[in-house]
Amino acid sequence: MENNHTPKILIVDDEKGLRLGTKRLLESEGYLVETAENGLEGVKSGTSTEFDLALIDLKMPDVDGIHVLREILKAHPNTVCLIATGFASYETAIESTKQGAFSYIPKPFTSEELLQKLNQAYYKRQLLLEGEKWKKEREERLLEITFEKTRLNTIINSITEGLLVVNKNGEAVLYNPSALKYLDLNSITIEEHIIDKLHPKIAELINKFLFAYKIERKSYSTQIEPATDKQLFIEATSSPVPNPDGTLAGVVVVLKDITGLKQIEMLKSQFVSMVSHELKAPIAAVTGYLHLFNDGTINLTDEQKKGYIKRSQLRLDGLLKMVNDLLDISRMETKTINREIVKLDVNEIIKNQLELFQLQINNNKLKVNFDAVENLPLINADRDEMARLFTNLISNAIKYNKQNGSINIKIESSERYLIVIIKDSGIGMKPEEKAKLFHEFFRAKNEKTKNISGTGLGLSIVKRIVDSYAGKIEVETEYGKGTSFKILLPIR
Amino acid sequence: MQSDAKKRILLVDDDLDLLEQNKILLESKGYKVVTADNTKDAWELFQSEKPDAAVLDLIMEEHDSGFILSYKIKKDEHGKNIPVFVITSATYITGFRFGASTKEEKEWIRCDEILNKPVVIDELVQKLENYLALNEV
Repeated sequence: MENNHTPKILIVDDEKGLRLGTKRLLESEGYLVETAENGLEGVKSGTSTEFDLALIDLKMPDVDGIHVLREILKAHPNTVCLIATGFASYETAIESTKQGAFSYIPKPFTSEELLQKLNQAYYKRQLLLEGEKWKKEREERLLEITFEKTRLNTIINSITEGLLVVNKNGEAVLYNPSALKYLDLNSITIEEHIIDKLHPKIAELINKFLFAYKIERKSYSTQIEPATDKQLFIEATSSPVPNPDGTLAGVVVVLKDITGLKQIEMLKSQFVSMVSHELKAPIAAVTGYLHLFNDGTINLTDEQKKGYIKRSQLRLDGLLKMVNDLLDISRMETKTINREIVKLDVNEIIKNQLELFQLQINNNKLKVNFDAVENLPLINADRDEMARLFTNLISNAIKYNKQNGSINIKIESSERYLIVIIKDSGIGMKPEEKAKLFHEFFRAKNEKTKNISGTGLGLSIVKRIVDSYAGKIEVETEYGKGTSFKILLPIR
Repeated sequence: MQSDAKKRILLVDDDLDLLEQNKILLESKGYKVVTADNTKDAWELFQSEKPDAAVLDLIMEEHDSGFILSYKIKKDEHGKNIPVFVITSATYITGFRFGASTKEEKEWIRCDEILNKPVVIDELVQKLENYLALNEV
């Protein structure tokens, strides 16, 4: 046999000589042979094991070959059975093939005849097995496809983006729950004409493809507010779904919640307008003084002139400080990626900062109470950022203090946090001022702050730094009495 | 009303430098100027001084402090007859539209003119004179 697989054959025959003779012949041809000496034994063997082939004698004393054939095929439809019969006749041939026999062989047969028939039978067996394999594979594929489909549906239903597919008649063919939310619809029925129920801008996105002269491989996007009563911004993108032949099958619309982005965009443009407004103010002031100096019709006293030059200088100093603060803020936004984290002793940082402010502290006759704490846990932080954090807080404690006032700095540590409390005996804040404290450019405006210069960015920087270290900041203040900032930095 | 007496103008701005400069400029044009750097003082000053006109900065304690103050002035028995100008450099604060276009805004924004900062003194004086002349008639 050409095949490297050894064919397994069952011989069912009550004639001992023929049975054993055939066995020997086939074994010499490379078959694996088993024999059964009567019909019932043949059924037993042929059903309990799957043979490639079976050679079954038609006429046996107990049960006939047709019965054996049927039983074997019932158990193993792919076993190829040959009927051997001494009563070769047209009828028995038809009957055996009707019952599922591959062929029949009239007795007596020569070795060549038998081997030729078995060869054909074995070929058939291989075809059957091949077919079986294909069938199994196909079934597996079908299962897979069904599974694939359910999985795809589950995925489509799980994504946060909304998905709506319409066919070229504008009827809904697929959607997911997010689509309902983003389209502000209670329900969509498959195959209903959906276009008119959609937001006009989304309908337009779809119609662009449905009414196009030819199919265009591009997408259209629009931004909508589906419902005026909800704070929701949606970006809808439509793309064509082509048939295999390139014609339009339908349109897919993907809906994305961009509310967060919109808010950031709004904050950003608000920030930009505020920045430009704040930067323009000192420029306008200095320009205004220059105009006064240049205006021939206005007589300024020397005292006025001196005062205005001094004021101009102050405004320009403030402007410079503001630009630096803005640079700090923008640097901070990129710094989180490449900051240099080292182990820091907060005692030392505060001590250094206090030294830098010594002149102002003396000028304002302030009393500073600060004792370095021994065995203070170190924190992991960027040195520059920590310096900037405490500079801003100490500078505020000085600026918004009173003559002969005091600044109390206390460091404590809990299990999770290093806590720094900076308390001043200054002018304090009103509740409405405290609420806006960390807003960019917010400065408490009242009689007491009138002559204190500042950019309105210091505490905003403080808050950004503390937040970026997952810390906390707490403020206690009483108008006219003073303010206390409590900074909590995680110890890691 | 005596036409040769100096017209009194209430000037309000929280930027002390601009307040000083515009005061000097207006004075050089022959006005008497009373100033305030916050809305509270401004309102008190308005009531006590009964000025002939008011020039108010827009953004002070709040983003619309100037409008609130002009609304109050325009509702006042004396104030309803005087020109009230709002000046601002905030030309494009997001979401803020200047100039009253809707009915609500017209109800609310009661000032006669909204002028850009920095103020061009000749333009300001020109406009003030127009309104003041109308009031004379």
